[in-house]
Amino acid sequence: MIRPILWVHGDCLDPQGPHFKNHPQAPALWVWDERLLAEWQLSLKRLVFIYECLVELPVVIRRGGVVAEVLTFATEHQADGIVTTASPSPLFRQYVKVLEQSLPVTILSVEPFVDYDGHIDLARFSRYWRVAQAYAFKGDLNDSK
Amino acid sequence: MSKDMRRDFTDRADLIRYVGEQFPEAAARDGRVSPIRGGRRAAEVQLNRLETHRYATTRNFLNGSVSRLSPYIRYGVLNLAQVRDWVLARATPHQCEKFVNELGWRDYWQRLYLKLGQGIWEDREPYKTGYSPQHYQDTLPEDIQSGTTGLVCMDVFSQELKIQGYLHNHARMWLAAYLVHWRHLRWQTGAKWFLEHLIDGDPASNNLSWQWVASTFGAKPYFFNRENLERYTAGLYCRRCPLYGHCAFEGSYDDLAHNLFPRNESPTAQPGRKPKAKRR
Ligand SMILES: Cc1cc2nc3c(=O)[nH]c(=O)nc-3n(C[C@H](O)[C@H](O)[C@H](O)COP(=O)(O)OP(=O)(O)OC[C@H]3O[C@@H](n4cnc5c(N)ncnc54)[C@H](O)[C@@H]3O)c2cc1C
Repeated sequence: MIRPILWVHGDCLDPQGPHFKNHPQAPALWVWDERLLAEWQLSLKRLVFIYECLVELPVVIRRGGVVAEVLTFATEHQADGIVTTASPSPLFRQYVKVLEQSLPVTILSVEPFVDYDGHIDLARFSRYWRVAQAYAFKGDLNDSK
Repeated sequence: MSKDMRRDFTDRADLIRYVGEQFPEAAARDGRVSPIRGGRRAAEVQLNRLETHRYATTRNFLNGSVSRLSPYIRYGVLNLAQVRDWVLARATPHQCEKFVNELGWRDYWQRLYLKLGQGIWEDREPYKTGYSPQHYQDTLPEDIQSGTTGLVCMDVFSQELKIQGYLHNHARMWLAAYLVHWRHLRWQTGAKWFLEHLIDGDPASNNLSWQWVASTFGAKPYFFNRENLERYTAGLYCRRCPLYGHCAFEGSYDDLAHNLFPRNESPTAQPGRKPKAKRR
Protein backbone atom coordinates (compact mmCIF):
# COMPACT_ATOMS: atom_id res chain seq x y z
CA MET A 1 0.00 0.00 0.00
CA ILE A 2 1.42 3.34 -0.99
CA ARG A 3 -1.50 5.67 -0.37
CA PRO A 4 -3.68 4.18 2.35
CA ILE A 5 -6.34 5.89 4.39
CA LEU A 6 -6.76 5.11 8.09
CA TRP A 7 -10.07 3.93 9.44
CA VAL A 8 -10.15 4.79 13.14
CA HIS A 9 -12.72 3.00 15.31
CA GLY A 10 -13.73 2.91 18.95
CA ASP A 11 -11.23 0.31 20.12
CA CYS A 12 -8.15 2.42 19.45
CA LEU A 13 -8.45 6.14 20.15
CA ASP A 14 -4.81 6.47 21.13
CA PRO A 15 -3.01 9.34 19.34
CA GLN A 16 0.06 7.09 19.45
CA GLY A 17 -1.77 4.06 18.10
CA PRO A 18 0.03 1.88 15.55
CA HIS A 19 -1.99 3.23 12.60
CA PHE A 20 -0.97 6.82 13.38
CA LYS A 21 2.62 5.82 14.12
CA ASN A 22 3.08 3.75 10.97
CA HIS A 23 1.25 6.17 8.69
CA PRO A 24 1.68 9.65 10.09
CA GLN A 25 0.78 11.33 6.79
CA ALA A 26 -2.24 9.22 5.86
CA PRO A 27 -5.69 10.83 5.97
CA ALA A 28 -7.73 9.34 8.82
CA LEU A 29 -11.47 8.92 9.23
CA TRP A 30 -13.85 8.26 12.13
CA VAL A 31 -17.44 7.33 11.33
CA TRP A 32 -20.29 7.64 13.81
CA ASP A 33 -21.99 4.40 12.90
CA GLU A 34 -25.72 4.98 12.33
CA ARG A 35 -26.39 1.31 12.88
CA LEU A 36 -24.68 1.24 16.27
CA LEU A 37 -26.21 4.52 17.33
CA ALA A 38 -29.67 3.09 16.70
CA GLU A 39 -28.91 -0.25 18.27
CA TRP A 40 -27.10 0.88 21.40
CA GLN A 41 -29.03 4.03 22.27
CA LEU A 42 -25.87 5.46 23.75
CA SER A 43 -26.43 8.29 26.19
CA LEU A 44 -25.21 11.81 25.50
CA LYS A 45 -22.48 11.45 28.12
CA ARG A 46 -20.97 8.53 26.25
CA LEU A 47 -21.11 10.41 22.96
CA VAL A 48 -19.45 13.48 24.51
CA PHE A 49 -16.66 11.35 25.97
CA ILE A 50 -15.93 9.78 22.59
CA TYR A 51 -16.07 13.16 20.88
CA GLU A 52 -13.53 14.54 23.35
CA CYS A 53 -11.22 11.65 22.47
CA LEU A 54 -11.70 12.31 18.75
CA VAL A 55 -10.80 15.98 18.80
CA GLU A 56 -7.35 15.06 20.10
CA LEU A 57 -6.79 12.82 17.07
CA PRO A 58 -5.92 13.87 13.52
CA VAL A 59 -9.19 12.50 12.11
CA VAL A 60 -12.01 13.67 9.90
CA ILE A 61 -15.28 13.00 11.71
CA ARG A 62 -18.33 11.88 9.75
CA ARG A 63 -21.58 10.07 10.35
CA GLY A 64 -23.33 7.36 8.33
CA GLY A 65 -22.88 3.75 7.30
CA VAL A 66 -19.31 2.73 8.11
CA VAL A 67 -18.50 0.82 4.93
CA ALA A 68 -19.94 3.46 2.59
CA GLU A 69 -18.23 6.32 4.40
CA VAL A 70 -14.85 4.59 4.52
CA LEU A 71 -15.00 3.77 0.81
CA THR A 72 -16.08 7.31 -0.09
CA PHE A 73 -13.21 8.71 1.94
CA ALA A 74 -10.81 6.31 0.22
CA THR A 75 -12.02 7.46 -3.20
CA GLU A 76 -11.69 11.12 -2.22
CA HIS A 77 -8.05 10.47 -1.37
CA GLN A 78 -7.41 8.09 -4.25
CA ALA A 79 -6.31 5.54 -1.70
CA ASP A 80 -5.01 2.11 -2.62
CA GLY A 81 -5.86 0.52 0.69
CA ILE A 82 -7.25 0.86 4.19
CA VAL A 83 -5.30 0.59 7.43
CA THR A 84 -7.03 0.01 10.74
CA THR A 85 -6.40 -1.59 14.13
CA ALA A 86 -7.67 -4.89 15.47
CA SER A 87 -10.96 -5.19 17.35
CA PRO A 88 -12.70 -8.20 18.90
CA SER A 89 -16.12 -6.91 17.80
CA PRO A 90 -18.01 -9.20 15.40
CA LEU A 91 -19.31 -6.14 13.56
CA PHE A 92 -15.74 -5.05 12.90
CA ARG A 93 -14.98 -8.36 11.21
CA GLN A 94 -18.15 -8.02 9.16
CA TYR A 95 -17.20 -4.53 8.01
CA VAL A 96 -13.66 -5.60 7.12
CA LYS A 97 -15.01 -8.43 5.01
CA VAL A 98 -17.14 -6.04 2.96
CA LEU A 99 -14.39 -3.42 2.68
CA GLU A 100 -12.00 -6.07 1.38
CA GLN A 101 -14.24 -6.57 -1.63
CA SER A 102 -13.22 -3.07 -2.75
CA LEU A 103 -9.77 -2.43 -1.29
CA PRO A 104 -7.07 -4.30 0.62
CA VAL A 105 -7.34 -3.87 4.40
CA THR A 106 -4.35 -4.02 6.74
CA ILE A 107 -5.20 -4.66 10.39
CA LEU A 108 -2.54 -3.54 12.85
CA SER A 109 -2.36 -4.80 16.42
CA VAL A 110 -1.57 -2.77 19.49
CA GLU A 111 1.11 -4.11 21.75
CA PRO A 112 -0.37 -7.20 23.43
CA PHE A 113 -0.88 -7.39 27.17
CA VAL A 114 -0.11 -11.10 27.04
CA ASP A 115 2.45 -11.77 24.34
CA TYR A 116 1.71 -15.44 23.81
CA ASP A 117 0.32 -17.07 20.68
CA GLY A 118 -0.28 -20.56 21.98
CA HIS A 119 -3.57 -22.04 23.13
CA ILE A 120 -5.12 -20.62 26.28
CA ASP A 121 -8.11 -22.30 27.90
CA LEU A 122 -10.75 -19.59 28.34
CA ALA A 123 -13.33 -21.70 30.17
CA ARG A 124 -12.65 -19.81 33.40
CA PHE A 125 -10.47 -16.83 34.31
CA SER A 126 -8.33 -18.94 36.64
CA ARG A 127 -7.30 -21.19 33.77
CA TYR A 128 -6.53 -18.23 31.55
CA TRP A 129 -4.52 -16.52 34.29
CA ARG A 130 -2.49 -19.62 35.05
CA VAL A 131 -0.96 -19.27 31.58
CA ALA A 132 -1.27 -15.51 31.07
CA GLN A 133 0.20 -14.24 34.33
CA ALA A 134 3.86 -14.89 33.49
CA TYR A 135 3.46 -13.10 30.15
CA ALA A 136 1.51 -10.22 31.68
CA PHE A 137 4.39 -9.62 34.08
CA LYS A 138 6.96 -10.32 31.37
CA GLY A 139 8.37 -12.99 33.66
CA ASP A 140 9.11 -10.48 36.43
CA LEU A 141 6.65 -11.61 39.08
CA ASN A 142 8.38 -14.80 40.12
CA ASP A 143 11.79 -13.13 40.05
CA SER A 144 10.76 -10.63 42.70
CA LYS A 145 9.18 -13.02 45.17
CA MET B 1 -21.32 11.57 1.47
CA SER B 2 -21.95 13.02 4.88
CA LYS B 3 -20.27 16.31 5.65
CA ASP B 4 -17.41 16.66 8.04
CA MET B 5 -18.39 17.26 11.62
CA ARG B 6 -16.79 20.01 13.66
CA ARG B 7 -13.43 19.57 15.35
CA ASP B 8 -12.74 22.97 16.82
CA PHE B 9 -14.53 24.15 19.92
CA THR B 10 -14.05 27.18 22.11
CA ASP B 11 -14.50 25.11 25.28
CA ARG B 12 -16.15 21.99 26.70
CA ALA B 13 -19.57 23.65 26.86
CA ASP B 14 -19.32 24.46 23.16
CA LEU B 15 -18.47 20.83 22.36
CA ILE B 16 -21.30 19.53 24.54
CA ARG B 17 -23.79 21.88 22.88
CA TYR B 18 -22.68 20.74 19.44
CA VAL B 19 -22.85 17.03 20.28
CA GLY B 20 -26.32 17.57 21.73
CA GLU B 21 -27.44 19.25 18.50
CA GLN B 22 -25.95 16.52 16.35
CA PHE B 23 -27.46 13.70 18.39
CA PRO B 24 -30.81 15.14 19.41
CA GLU B 25 -32.34 11.72 20.15
CA ALA B 26 -29.69 11.02 22.79
CA ALA B 27 -29.97 14.54 24.20
CA ALA B 28 -33.76 14.17 24.42
CA ARG B 29 -33.47 10.90 26.37
CA ASP B 30 -31.10 12.44 28.90
CA GLY B 31 -29.24 15.70 28.39
CA ARG B 32 -26.78 15.19 31.24
CA VAL B 33 -23.05 14.89 30.69
CA SER B 34 -20.45 13.20 32.88
CA PRO B 35 -17.64 15.12 34.57
CA ILE B 36 -15.30 12.40 33.22
CA ARG B 37 -13.35 13.92 30.35
CA GLY B 38 -12.32 12.13 27.21
CA GLY B 39 -8.94 12.17 25.49
CA ARG B 40 -5.37 11.05 26.00
CA ARG B 41 -4.44 14.09 28.08
CA ALA B 42 -7.20 13.36 30.57
CA ALA B 43 -6.16 9.69 30.55
CA GLU B 44 -2.61 10.60 31.50
CA VAL B 45 -3.80 12.86 34.30
CA GLN B 46 -5.80 9.92 35.64
CA LEU B 47 -2.86 7.54 35.24
CA ASN B 48 -0.65 9.87 37.26
CA ARG B 49 -3.12 9.70 40.14
CA LEU B 50 -2.84 5.94 40.44
CA GLU B 51 -1.74 4.72 43.87
CA THR B 52 -0.64 1.22 43.03
CA HIS B 53 0.64 0.48 46.53
CA ARG B 54 -2.80 1.14 48.07
CA TYR B 55 -4.78 -0.62 45.36
CA ALA B 56 -4.75 -4.21 46.57
CA THR B 57 -5.86 -3.47 50.13
CA THR B 58 -8.45 -0.78 49.39
CA ARG B 59 -9.94 -1.61 45.98
CA ASN B 60 -13.07 -3.30 47.34
CA PHE B 61 -14.07 -0.20 49.29
CA LEU B 62 -16.14 2.43 47.55
CA ASN B 63 -13.63 5.08 48.60
CA GLY B 64 -10.65 2.84 47.81
CA SER B 65 -7.75 3.65 45.51
CA VAL B 66 -9.10 2.33 42.25
CA SER B 67 -7.66 3.74 39.05
CA ARG B 68 -10.81 4.93 37.24
CA LEU B 69 -8.97 4.26 34.01
CA SER B 70 -11.71 2.07 32.57
CA PRO B 71 -13.19 4.66 30.16
CA TYR B 72 -9.76 5.26 28.61
CA ILE B 73 -8.92 1.58 28.43
CA ARG B 74 -12.32 0.81 26.96
CA TYR B 75 -11.67 3.04 23.95
CA GLY B 76 -8.02 2.16 23.58
CA VAL B 77 -6.97 5.69 24.51
CA LEU B 78 -4.60 3.74 26.74
CA ASN B 79 -3.99 0.09 26.11
CA LEU B 80 -3.45 -2.60 28.73
CA ALA B 81 0.25 -3.01 27.91
CA GLN B 82 0.87 0.73 28.35
CA VAL B 83 -0.90 0.77 31.72
CA ARG B 84 0.92 -2.37 32.84
CA ASP B 85 4.30 -0.97 31.80
CA TRP B 86 3.52 2.29 33.57
CA VAL B 87 2.81 0.58 36.91
CA LEU B 88 5.70 -1.87 36.60
CA ALA B 89 8.07 1.06 36.10
CA ARG B 90 6.94 2.58 39.39
CA ALA B 91 6.45 -0.32 41.77
CA THR B 92 7.71 -3.84 42.25
CA PRO B 93 5.92 -6.59 40.35
CA HIS B 94 4.72 -7.90 43.67
CA GLN B 95 3.14 -4.55 44.61
CA CYS B 96 1.42 -4.47 41.23
CA GLU B 97 0.20 -8.03 41.35
CA LYS B 98 -3.46 -7.37 42.11
CA PHE B 99 -3.73 -4.44 39.74
CA VAL B 100 -2.19 -6.34 36.82
CA ASN B 101 -4.48 -9.25 37.65
CA GLU B 102 -7.45 -6.90 37.24
CA LEU B 103 -6.11 -5.71 33.90
CA GLY B 104 -6.03 -9.41 33.08
CA TRP B 105 -9.79 -9.55 33.54
CA ARG B 106 -10.24 -7.14 30.70
CA ASP B 107 -7.87 -9.09 28.47
CA TYR B 108 -9.73 -12.27 29.35
CA TRP B 109 -13.17 -10.85 28.47
CA GLN B 110 -11.81 -9.42 25.21
CA ARG B 111 -10.40 -12.81 24.24
CA LEU B 112 -13.75 -14.40 24.99
CA TYR B 113 -15.49 -11.73 22.92
CA LEU B 114 -13.31 -12.60 19.95
CA LYS B 115 -14.33 -16.21 20.38
CA LEU B 116 -18.01 -15.78 21.21
CA GLY B 117 -19.01 -12.73 19.16
CA GLN B 118 -22.72 -12.00 19.58
CA GLY B 119 -22.83 -15.08 21.82
CA ILE B 120 -21.94 -12.80 24.72
CA TRP B 121 -25.66 -11.84 24.69
CA GLU B 122 -26.75 -15.46 25.21
CA ASP B 123 -26.69 -17.39 28.46
CA ARG B 124 -23.38 -19.21 28.37
CA GLU B 125 -24.65 -21.82 30.83
CA PRO B 126 -27.92 -22.57 32.65
CA TYR B 127 -28.76 -20.43 35.68
CA LYS B 128 -27.72 -22.03 38.97
CA THR B 129 -30.49 -20.26 40.83
CA GLY B 130 -33.12 -22.96 40.50
CA TYR B 131 -34.99 -20.82 37.97
CA SER B 132 -35.30 -21.19 34.21
CA PRO B 133 -34.45 -18.24 31.94
CA GLN B 134 -38.20 -17.68 31.35
CA HIS B 135 -38.62 -16.84 35.00
CA TYR B 136 -36.76 -13.57 34.58
CA GLN B 137 -38.56 -10.45 33.38
CA ASP B 138 -37.52 -8.30 30.42
CA THR B 139 -38.54 -4.85 31.57
CA LEU B 140 -36.38 -2.68 33.76
CA PRO B 141 -38.62 -1.71 36.69
CA GLU B 142 -39.61 1.96 36.78
CA ASP B 143 -38.41 2.45 40.36
CA ILE B 144 -34.94 1.29 39.30
CA GLN B 145 -34.82 3.68 36.36
CA SER B 146 -35.94 6.58 38.48
CA GLY B 147 -33.94 5.59 41.56
CA THR B 148 -37.00 5.44 43.83
CA THR B 149 -36.88 1.96 45.31
CA GLY B 150 -36.51 3.39 48.81
CA LEU B 151 -33.24 1.47 49.26
CA VAL B 152 -30.80 4.34 49.60
CA CYS B 153 -27.85 2.31 48.28
CA MET B 154 -29.56 1.14 45.11
CA ASP B 155 -31.14 4.53 44.45
CA VAL B 156 -27.77 6.25 44.74
CA PHE B 157 -26.14 3.69 42.43
CA SER B 158 -28.89 4.20 39.86
CA GLN B 159 -28.39 7.97 40.00
CA GLU B 160 -24.62 7.70 39.80
CA LEU B 161 -24.88 5.44 36.80
CA LYS B 162 -27.04 7.98 35.01
CA ILE B 163 -25.22 11.13 36.11
CA GLN B 164 -21.57 10.06 36.31
CA GLY B 165 -21.62 7.17 33.87
CA TYR B 166 -19.31 5.39 36.29
CA LEU B 167 -19.84 3.00 39.18
CA HIS B 168 -17.27 1.36 41.41
CA ASN B 169 -16.89 -2.34 40.65
CA HIS B 170 -18.51 -3.34 43.93
CA ALA B 171 -21.50 -1.08 43.27
CA ARG B 172 -21.90 -2.67 39.83
CA MET B 173 -21.91 -6.10 41.46
CA TRP B 174 -24.45 -5.12 44.12
CA LEU B 175 -26.76 -3.37 41.69
CA ALA B 176 -26.58 -6.22 39.17
CA ALA B 177 -27.17 -8.82 41.89
CA TYR B 178 -30.12 -6.84 43.27
CA LEU B 179 -31.69 -6.63 39.82
CA VAL B 180 -31.21 -10.27 38.88
CA HIS B 181 -31.70 -12.07 42.20
CA TRP B 182 -34.07 -9.83 44.14
CA ARG B 183 -36.02 -8.28 41.25
CA HIS B 184 -35.77 -11.24 38.88
CA LEU B 185 -34.66 -9.19 35.91
CA ARG B 186 -33.12 -10.89 32.90
CA TRP B 187 -29.43 -10.04 33.02
CA GLN B 188 -29.56 -8.94 29.37
CA THR B 189 -31.95 -6.11 30.25
CA GLY B 190 -29.72 -4.92 33.06
CA ALA B 191 -26.65 -5.20 30.85
CA LYS B 192 -28.26 -3.06 28.16
CA TRP B 193 -29.15 -0.42 30.72
CA PHE B 194 -25.55 -0.30 31.95
CA LEU B 195 -24.20 -0.05 28.40
CA GLU B 196 -26.41 2.93 27.69
CA HIS B 197 -24.87 4.88 30.56
CA LEU B 198 -21.42 3.57 31.53
CA ILE B 199 -18.72 5.69 29.93
CA ASP B 200 -16.56 2.55 29.98
CA GLY B 201 -19.49 0.50 28.66
CA ASP B 202 -17.96 -2.46 26.92
CA PRO B 203 -20.04 -5.35 25.57
CA ALA B 204 -17.62 -8.02 26.71
CA SER B 205 -16.63 -6.77 30.19
CA ASN B 206 -20.19 -5.74 30.90
CA ASN B 207 -22.19 -8.69 29.61
CA LEU B 208 -19.87 -11.36 30.88
CA SER B 209 -19.75 -9.71 34.31
CA TRP B 210 -23.55 -9.67 34.34
CA GLN B 211 -23.51 -13.34 33.39
CA TRP B 212 -21.10 -14.03 36.21
CA VAL B 213 -23.43 -12.32 38.71
CA ALA B 214 -26.46 -14.13 37.28
CA SER B 215 -24.64 -17.52 37.34
CA THR B 216 -24.92 -18.15 33.60
CA PHE B 217 -21.14 -17.88 33.44
CA GLY B 218 -19.89 -19.32 36.68
CA ALA B 219 -20.66 -22.00 39.19
CA LYS B 220 -22.81 -19.95 41.57
CA PRO B 221 -24.92 -16.83 41.63
CA TYR B 222 -23.28 -13.79 43.21
CA PHE B 223 -25.26 -12.17 46.01
CA PHE B 224 -24.48 -10.17 49.11
CA ASN B 225 -26.00 -9.12 52.39
CA ARG B 226 -26.43 -5.79 54.16
CA GLU B 227 -23.40 -6.36 56.34
CA ASN B 228 -21.19 -6.76 53.27
CA LEU B 229 -22.54 -3.63 51.62
CA GLU B 230 -22.37 -1.64 54.83
CA ARG B 231 -18.76 -2.65 55.41
CA TYR B 232 -17.42 -1.76 51.99
CA THR B 233 -19.35 1.51 51.84
CA ALA B 234 -18.34 2.43 55.41
CA GLY B 235 -22.04 2.69 56.21
CA LEU B 236 -22.50 5.66 53.91
CA TYR B 237 -25.93 4.58 52.64
CA CYS B 238 -27.11 2.30 55.44
CA ARG B 239 -26.75 5.09 58.01
CA ARG B 240 -29.37 7.21 56.32
CA CYS B 241 -31.59 4.44 55.03
CA PRO B 242 -35.10 4.30 56.52
CA LEU B 243 -35.12 0.57 55.78
CA TYR B 244 -32.07 -0.08 57.91
CA GLY B 245 -32.49 -3.26 59.95
CA HIS B 246 -35.33 -4.59 57.81
CA CYS B 247 -34.21 -4.15 54.22
CA ALA B 248 -34.16 -6.84 51.55
CA PHE B 249 -30.50 -7.55 52.21
CA GLU B 250 -30.79 -8.33 55.91
CA GLY B 251 -29.77 -11.72 57.18
CA SER B 252 -27.10 -14.34 56.99
CA TYR B 253 -25.95 -15.71 53.67
CA ASP B 254 -27.70 -18.98 54.39
CA ASP B 255 -31.00 -17.21 55.11
CA LEU B 256 -30.71 -15.12 51.99
CA ALA B 257 -29.80 -18.14 49.84
CA HIS B 258 -32.86 -19.90 51.19
CA ASN B 259 -35.12 -16.94 50.39
CA LEU B 260 -33.63 -16.03 47.02
CA PHE B 261 -33.16 -19.52 45.63
CA PRO B 262 -35.82 -21.66 47.32
CA ARG B 263 -35.89 -24.09 44.43
CA ASN B 264 -32.28 -25.04 44.96
CA GLU B 265 -32.60 -28.09 47.14
CA SER B 266 -29.08 -27.77 48.39
CA PRO B 267 -28.27 -24.11 48.09
CA THR B 268 -25.16 -23.76 46.01
CA ALA B 269 -25.14 -20.02 45.97
CA GLN B 270 -21.92 -18.68 47.26
CA PRO B 271 -21.97 -15.68 49.53
CA GLY B 272 -20.14 -12.62 48.41
CA ARG B 273 -18.39 -11.53 51.53
CA LYS B 274 -14.97 -13.01 50.85
CA PRO B 275 -12.83 -11.60 48.10
CA LYS B 276 -12.51 -14.99 46.47
CA ALA B 277 -16.22 -15.46 45.95
CA LYS B 278 -16.99 -11.81 45.54
CA ARG B 279 -14.31 -11.06 43.07
CA ARG B 280 -14.27 -14.12 40.89
C1 LIG C 1 -22.13 -5.87 36.35
C2 LIG C 1 -20.78 -5.36 35.92
C3 LIG C 1 -20.66 -4.64 34.73
C4 LIG C 1 -19.40 -4.17 34.32
N1 LIG C 1 -19.31 -3.48 33.14
C5 LIG C 1 -18.10 -3.04 32.72
C6 LIG C 1 -17.97 -2.33 31.49
O1 LIG C 1 -18.95 -2.11 30.76
N2 LIG C 1 -16.74 -1.89 31.13
C7 LIG C 1 -15.64 -2.13 31.89
O2 LIG C 1 -14.55 -1.70 31.51
N3 LIG C 1 -15.73 -2.82 33.05
C8 LIG C 1 -16.92 -3.27 33.48
N4 LIG C 1 -17.01 -3.97 34.67
C9 LIG C 1 -15.77 -4.32 35.38
C10 LIG C 1 -15.31 -3.33 36.46
O3 LIG C 1 -16.38 -3.03 37.31
C11 LIG C 1 -14.74 -2.04 35.88
O4 LIG C 1 -13.78 -2.31 34.88
C12 LIG C 1 -14.06 -1.21 36.98
O5 LIG C 1 -14.95 -0.98 38.02
C13 LIG C 1 -13.57 0.11 36.41
O6 LIG C 1 -13.06 0.94 37.40
P1 LIG C 1 -11.50 1.22 37.53
O7 LIG C 1 -10.96 1.67 36.20
O8 LIG C 1 -11.28 2.11 38.67
O9 LIG C 1 -10.95 -0.24 37.82
P2 LIG C 1 -9.61 -0.72 38.53
O10 LIG C 1 -10.01 -1.57 39.66
O11 LIG C 1 -8.68 0.39 38.78
O12 LIG C 1 -8.98 -1.71 37.45
C14 LIG C 1 -8.07 -1.28 36.44
C15 LIG C 1 -8.60 -1.66 35.07
O13 LIG C 1 -8.70 -3.08 34.95
C16 LIG C 1 -9.85 -3.44 34.18
N5 LIG C 1 -10.78 -4.19 35.06
C17 LIG C 1 -10.81 -4.22 36.40
N6 LIG C 1 -11.76 -5.08 36.83
C18 LIG C 1 -12.32 -5.60 35.73
C19 LIG C 1 -13.34 -6.57 35.51
N7 LIG C 1 -13.95 -7.20 36.52
N8 LIG C 1 -13.69 -6.84 34.24
C20 LIG C 1 -13.06 -6.24 33.20
N9 LIG C 1 -12.08 -5.33 33.36
C21 LIG C 1 -11.71 -5.03 34.59
C22 LIG C 1 -10.49 -2.14 33.75
O14 LIG C 1 -10.05 -1.83 32.45
C23 LIG C 1 -9.99 -1.16 34.78
O15 LIG C 1 -9.94 0.17 34.28
C24 LIG C 1 -18.26 -4.45 35.10
C25 LIG C 1 -18.40 -5.15 36.30
C26 LIG C 1 -19.64 -5.60 36.71
C27 LIG C 1 -19.75 -6.37 38.00
